[in-house]
Amino acid sequence: MTTSTLNITDRMEKQPPAWSRLLDLSDKALAVLLLAPAGLLLSLIIVYPVLRLVYTSFFSLSLTSGLPAEFVGLENYQLMIEDPVFWETTWNTVLITLITVPGALVVGMALALLANLPFRRQWPVRLSLLIPWALPLSFAGLIFAWFFHSEYGVVNDVLARFGIEGVIWFNSPSLAFAAICLTIIWKTSSFMALIILAGLQTIPRSLYEAADVDGAGRVRQFFEITLPLLKPAIVVALIFRTITALQTFDIPFMMTGGGPGTSTATLAMYIHQNTVSFLDLGYGSALAVVMFALSMCVTVIYLRIIRTKE
Amino acid sequence: MSQVTTSGPQSVLSGRPLRLIAAAILLVNGMFPALWILFTSLKTEAELTVKPITWLPHAPTVANYMQAFSDQPLHIFLFNSFMVALLSTCTTLLVSVLAAYALARLNLKYRGLILSAIIAVSTFPLVTLLVPLFEIMRALNLLNTWIALILPYTVLSLPVCTLMLVSFFEGIPRDLENAAMIDGCTRLGALFKVVVPLCAPGVFTAGILAFVNAWDEFLLALSFNSNPALRTLPVGIQLYQGEFAFPWPVISAALVVGIVPVAILIVIFQERVVSGLTAGGIKG
Repeated sequence: MTTSTLNITDRMEKQPPAWSRLLDLSDKALAVLLLAPAGLLLSLIIVYPVLRLVYTSFFSLSLTSGLPAEFVGLENYQLMIEDPVFWETTWNTVLITLITVPGALVVGMALALLANLPFRRQWPVRLSLLIPWALPLSFAGLIFAWFFHSEYGVVNDVLARFGIEGVIWFNSPSLAFAAICLTIIWKTSSFMALIILAGLQTIPRSLYEAADVDGAGRVRQFFEITLPLLKPAIVVALIFRTITALQTFDIPFMMTGGGPGTSTATLAMYIHQNTVSFLDLGYGSALAVVMFALSMCVTVIYLRIIRTKE
Repeated sequence: MSQVTTSGPQSVLSGRPLRLIAAAILLVNGMFPALWILFTSLKTEAELTVKPITWLPHAPTVANYMQAFSDQPLHIFLFNSFMVALLSTCTTLLVSVLAAYALARLNLKYRGLILSAIIAVSTFPLVTLLVPLFEIMRALNLLNTWIALILPYTVLSLPVCTLMLVSFFEGIPRDLENAAMIDGCTRLGALFKVVVPLCAPGVFTAGILAFVNAWDEFLLALSFNSNPALRTLPVGIQLYQGEFAFPWPVISAALVVGIVPVAILIVIFQERVVSGLTAGGIKG
């Protein structure tokens, strides 16, 4: 740093234009200037809305009634506790998370192990993992709704070829739920596989060679070398997957619209319905606070893990 | 990914038949849904309702594509999606380049705290802000404008892009900047004339991720833009559903049209996208 200051004084005759000297700020001022756009955006789109969300959740505010907002304390939360649809949609969300997160991990791990084989050409493998990731969730929902179509769907067609009679997937709550979970697992496992594959490729070959010499079998090598070394990458991927699973909206919205009844509706869909369809902003806010709390728990665990890694 | 020799316990099991089976599983898993929708889009309504169903289209037709563009303003949906994604990507990149530079180069007192905050924001469920964002956009008269989507989409990708760029900037030697500053560049000048060009691949990768994020988003687009002329593709595609009918071949054609742009991006920049995705914890 000192040498460069010296050099600058050496070349004082080569002055930058006046306007740019205005921009020659101290580190502190520069830091404020550089971080300001991000800070402003985050305040407008995250910080202020979060405060506003909690505030609104204490009000009765329905745009359809035309009445001004009225402070009702915890009434929205009380309504929520007595609302069976709230419990059903929350339970569905938690269940989707509990099924699809481990599901995506297992399928993703299998895909990654397959993709890690020494193929001569890498690009087809890479593309077949990237396409599901890049496909919009809403598109995946529509495509799989067509897959599971009771009359002309490819799933029932394949089942028929094996002599199994096709089912009407979207008429039964449990089958519709299963179809949704399968779709989410398909959509998210590729991303998991990419993360795991990147981890696999950093494990030195020599570790396996040493294990071979020691006479450890493949399965033991997997559990004692591969899995422990992959753990950090997997943990991060799992946490992100958990947080996105809690927000599940697009796929059930496109596949079943929450039906039959509300049996496949998620919390995000219920928030959307109350806010956009019923314009009941007070109740929608209270529901969102619950989801916010759920995902905050996961984030706190995430930050803990990151800290301990450092 | 480009290595041909790989490590792992599988390498011994890697006979040619096994590799073929593995490749088949991977390809079917990755490509089949998109291919199936492509096949469907080429079938006539009559062929679609034959039982047992056909797999490959017997008499491929592009009529469904014509109808997809004539039934609904598909080109407008495409244009909206493209502009919203492009503009939010540019905003994200500009804002995150500035922030990442400050975090990578200036000795900030609260650097750790700011980084933690960014990580926390990266896991933030934007869904929960549906109500307040709806209220804000309504108050600012921004409902049914591109801006109502561009602002949240910028924030959606901001944390990930910033974290990625911080690590790229840290890989650029400081001497290069110092040299530029000696030659009369201001610090900001050095950032845009020296650091950003050197990090162009990283900035570009961050841009692709931001673009795909914005292209995919559905809930906010569905909630904030009810005007058909401003709908983005994922929202517009819903309009093809009639009250009772579900014209699958036409919907499939519209889906194919929506998949192609991102597919091209992915095919061309696949290696870069993979390295960007796996560089850090990024939502999927």
